[in-house]
Amino acid sequence: MRRRVIEGGEELKSEKRLSVAKIVAVIGLLLLLAVSVGCNRTKKYSLQGEVVSKNQEISEITVKHGDIPGFMPAMAMPYRVKDPGIVQELQPGDKIAAEVILGKDSSDYWLEDIRITDESGRGHVKASAAPRMLMPGKRVPDVALINQNGSTIHLSDFAGKALLVTFIYTRCPMPNFCPRLSSQFARIHNELKKDPEDYTKTHLLTISFDPKYDTPAVLLKYGLAYLDGDQSGFSHWDFASTNPGDLARVAQAFGLQYEEEDNQISHNMSIVLIAPDGTVTKFWSTDWTWTELTENMRKAAHPNAQRGGTR
Amino acid sequence: MIRGSLLLSALLALLCSTACASKEQLSNAEIEGQWLYESHCAECHENPQPDLHKQPPNLHGLFFRKSLPSGAPGTEEQVRETIIEGRGTMPAFDRRLRGDDVKNLIKYMRKLK
Repeated sequence: MRRRVIEGGEELKSEKRLSVAKIVAVIGLLLLLAVSVGCNRTKKYSLQGEVVSKNQEISEITVKHGDIPGFMPAMAMPYRVKDPGIVQELQPGDKIAAEVILGKDSSDYWLEDIRITDESGRGHVKASAAPRMLMPGKRVPDVALINQNGSTIHLSDFAGKALLVTFIYTRCPMPNFCPRLSSQFARIHNELKKDPEDYTKTHLLTISFDPKYDTPAVLLKYGLAYLDGDQSGFSHWDFASTNPGDLARVAQAFGLQYEEEDNQISHNMSIVLIAPDGTVTKFWSTDWTWTELTENMRKAAHPNAQRGGTR
Repeated sequence: MIRGSLLLSALLALLCSTACASKEQLSNAEIEGQWLYESHCAECHENPQPDLHKQPPNLHGLFFRKSLPSGAPGTEEQVRETIIEGRGTMPAFDRRLRGDDVKNLIKYMRKLK
């Protein structure tokens, strides 16, 4: 009998312990919630702008928008839209409001909750506002560029190789833009280096759209940082700039948009793969991975080889 | 047991307060510097950047260390040079930050513990 009382007492104690543990757990969860709510950066930004063009095939619209504080200065740039029905509904000239959503790894973004606020401007978009990119299969313009060593190079110098071109400016402070592009190009460079056949049949070219600041000396320093100090890497990856006229030509051909204001350059991202015969193979803007780019380069470099993966 | 739960709550509250911005009183110059830090530096130096070639270093306690993350001497002049000219894969903030901006930014960085 006495034993039962003691057992009963222990039962009570253990119940009490359980409820205290529950309270502690609830307090802990609440505080952790407070930490996450109070300290996490928001990944959602409000956008207001005008639809410049749309590409239904890849569910993408180009929007000319005002400042998006904390995310992007005023500019025209392409955004992915998850709902293809909305892309169908939208027309160039439409004024819209939407939310820009940043992906988990901050390297990807898209539009959600798109509302047309004014459709009276439909069909009144200036032709010059919409990017006039080269279609795949078209020959690229043979512009002259000055590389990191101060040497003149031409796009035609890379005939016979798969050439991956992108655009940056070295002072770009936005990690999701130029620093990401150069970092991912460094991964591609290191991956292609593993196979001499790939390495000799491919080339990377990073073109600056800030030729006033990005002199050969600046590009040399910048390139070496991404090549981990290995000068020999420049034989496979050039960092170059060109005169404003040729830059405008190549930018238009490759869908690059840039605008300098207040010592900062607003720009979109453009990556283009040029086949060994000097024609455009494919463009990328917002939705790409370095592995996808590498695989596409390999396929373009060895068009007759039977390799794994899908285009 | 209640004492234990209070202790845990206090620890979690401490975690919250250190994880969020410090509530220490800042001078006007430091508040300006804090704004510059949040707009120009925090994105890379306060968040993991797995897509970048090199992970930007955490800058808390920078002026309490003997040297900078690069190994260069931890002097104000060196930090100023790094901000203006960039270092490695860090972009130069030349023409975007100048004069008092850099001064105020460094004043705030001295407060980061």
